[in-house]
Amino acid sequence: MSFIMNGNPFPHPSQPFIISPHRFQNRSKSQILRRIPARRVILLACSLAALLFFFFPTISSLASASLSSSIFRDDPLITTVHHYDLAHSQGTGRGWEREERVLMCIPLRDAAPHLPLFFSHLRNLTYPHSLIDMAFLVSDSKDETLLLLNTLLERTQADKDPYMRFGRIEIFEKDFGQVVGQGFSDRHGFDAQGPRRKLMARARNWLLSASLRPEHSWVYWRDVDVEIAPSTIIEDLMRHNKDVIVPNIWRPLPDWLGGEQPYDLNSWQESETALQLAQTLDEDSVIVEGYPEFATWRPHLAYLRDPYGDPDFEMEIDGVGGVSILAKARVFRSGAHFPAFSFERHAETEGFGKMCKRMGLSVVGLPHYVIWHMYEPSVDDMRYMGEMIQARLRKEKEQQEKAKETKDDNDRMAEAAAIAKAEMEAVKKKALSSTSGESPLQEAGKESDSLEMYDNPEYFLDSVKAAEVRAAKQVAREIEQARRDAEKKAKEEQEATKNGRKFSSESKKEKKVIIAKDA
Amino acid sequence: MPSYRQRSRPLTIITVSGVALIILFYLLSTSRSSSEVRVRPPPAAGGAKSISHYPMNGLTSSWQPLARQEHVLILTPITRFYEEYWNNLINLNYPHELIDLGFILPRGREANQAIQRLDEAVNALQTGPKKNRFASVSILRQDFDSPFSQSEKDRHALSSQKERRAAMARARNSLYTTTINAGISWILWLDADIVETPASLIQDMASHNKAIIVANCYQRYVDHGESKIRPYDFNTWQDSEAAAKMAQNMGDDEVIFEGYAEMATHRTLLASMRGAGKDINEEVPVDGVGATALLVKAEVHRDGAMFPSFPFFHLLESEGFAKMAKRLGYQAYGLPNYLVYHYNE
Repeated sequence: MSFIMNGNPFPHPSQPFIISPHRFQNRSKSQILRRIPARRVILLACSLAALLFFFFPTISSLASASLSSSIFRDDPLITTVHHYDLAHSQGTGRGWEREERVLMCIPLRDAAPHLPLFFSHLRNLTYPHSLIDMAFLVSDSKDETLLLLNTLLERTQADKDPYMRFGRIEIFEKDFGQVVGQGFSDRHGFDAQGPRRKLMARARNWLLSASLRPEHSWVYWRDVDVEIAPSTIIEDLMRHNKDVIVPNIWRPLPDWLGGEQPYDLNSWQESETALQLAQTLDEDSVIVEGYPEFATWRPHLAYLRDPYGDPDFEMEIDGVGGVSILAKARVFRSGAHFPAFSFERHAETEGFGKMCKRMGLSVVGLPHYVIWHMYEPSVDDMRYMGEMIQARLRKEKEQQEKAKETKDDNDRMAEAAAIAKAEMEAVKKKALSSTSGESPLQEAGKESDSLEMYDNPEYFLDSVKAAEVRAAKQVAREIEQARRDAEKKAKEEQEATKNGRKFSSESKKEKKVIIAKDA
Repeated sequence: MPSYRQRSRPLTIITVSGVALIILFYLLSTSRSSSEVRVRPPPAAGGAKSISHYPMNGLTSSWQPLARQEHVLILTPITRFYEEYWNNLINLNYPHELIDLGFILPRGREANQAIQRLDEAVNALQTGPKKNRFASVSILRQDFDSPFSQSEKDRHALSSQKERRAAMARARNSLYTTTINAGISWILWLDADIVETPASLIQDMASHNKAIIVANCYQRYVDHGESKIRPYDFNTWQDSEAAAKMAQNMGDDEVIFEGYAEMATHRTLLASMRGAGKDINEEVPVDGVGATALLVKAEVHRDGAMFPSFPFFHLLESEGFAKMAKRLGYQAYGLPNYLVYHYNE
């Protein structure tokens, strides 16, 4: 190219041969650029562009936005129209970095005593709080659950540290009518299971359908009565990037019951026996796990725990428990829910697991990643604990009796009560010393109607010790009652004997009068 | 050649220094972004405003929705935008401030056109006269690819039905789970190709006070210059013994579809129950429903009745929905003489 421009080395025969172009010419400046190979120019342009992007990253977002989603954007002037691309809320394994929103669903029923502890768990969550929306369903509650929930939420949302505040919070109230009571023995009796599970399934579905929005990528189901759970639990479960994932749920027990126990038996793998059993049952019946009436021989997540096992170890499961479920929002968007009818002979969370499997989703449990449910003593447990405390008291009393045999009955009663009180204090002190003591200590045992009672540190104790305290209190109350009864009885007897004496003396007087009259 | 090297030197210096700058900037920026920008999203506003209460005990879905000011959510999966559909929707005489709209579109070029036209229509309406505006409009794009092309022939081929209906079921579920809020009493499923309904559609259907009620979907056509109507939607039916027997001999993953010669189900179709001049309010119990114009009490969906994308008792989508609702204790009804009209291609 260049020498054509310099002159004409091959002139047309019709033109005269000109020699002049062969003399020296000064190079023009533009020729320097021409000498640079095109490759270099491109390289230079690219590096310049790269530099621009690095220093002004907003340019890139502008460019991509105009390319891809110019037609799928909200007009800021029209507030009633919203566009959502669900592809942006599918959920990935690193949601906290991609700012994926998590919807936390918490069903509540007569849960006031558990709320303070639950809120301390919430506060500790390490997943960015602003990315967590919360939905509570308060149903069929007779205690002050709603009032307390509101108070605690307002406190949380007005936290001095703005990073402690959560996103949108919704409280739904809906009563479903209760088939069974909420006591431990009521809830866990076999006959109650079918209808109870169906009712809970309805509650869960109402909560989810009312609160799920297009911008949610994950849904985290959590029960309030969880005692110990890692504060990183959302990230820990999310990292596995599964459609549905649950940890293992255990519960602590008093030492005399063995110290600990698997709690949630609803996470299991399907077995041949169970499938055969299911075929023998009619369409509307529900198999519930963990009852001798249905021997399913399924491998339970709970029983497979190894305290020293790898917490990231995954196990495919078919039924899931509802204490702590992390699921991608698209699972619910594609229609999976908690069947309030018998779905393949299962209901609620177990049916949910089955349905997810049917839809080809991944359902996984972590056998060695454990969270701890609260210990709720059964009536029998409470009685036994009371008996233990009384036996101890009796023993001490006997020892003291041996020392001072001359004591009066009434005095001894009073002393027993005092001992019980001391016992209670000791148990309480021991329990308190093991907690962090973050809440202000208040006089325990003073049960007022106000919400103040929930600032009671007893609700922050661990559940086993709390049960012991309760048992000790019960014993103290019984002894106090017995003392009062005895006092009353003694008084009545005194009165009676006094009256008796009076009566007899009066009658003597009368007799005397009569005698006098006669005389 | 040495002269050439000399001339290119300034450029080399620029390139090298540029690269060095980029590396330096990258090193500096990563250390900054990893500590605060990336890991910590901005805090939430918080405050009492972020907490909302929804008492749902008083929520009703009654036979007089107008008198009780009940909120209705109209849901439409949409691939093609028809002007007639939109005009019919605007002409519904239920108060628009009590109506929320929800649309879901598939991904793809054809849908992008629909989005544009829908956007134009929605924006025009929502900035127009106040009494015409709807309470809110949500436009969703689904997060999965629909397997079907939308030509009329493909759409109805038996072989592609299972995939097509499953994708439709997922789209419907995505739509209702994310748009039902705590204030909604009724949900009206109205397909994008329903171009003509009575203006009082919502009041008329709600007045029957049924948990699930479906209108009879017909189609207008011209035959030898004469305007006639013919049945269009065959998904609303009463079950038959033949179909029950067929289901018994099927594997778990097989599906019965209605309206195909390969599967003679002998079910009684709502489409065939129409009698000209008969009572418009006649209602019949049905076992499967089509979702072309379907009014559902919100509690049915809230209790968990959804559109199965997997064979549920050998049924898919809206037909499976009726079955699931039945298992939850809700009976579906059809209106044989109450007609809505489908678009004619």
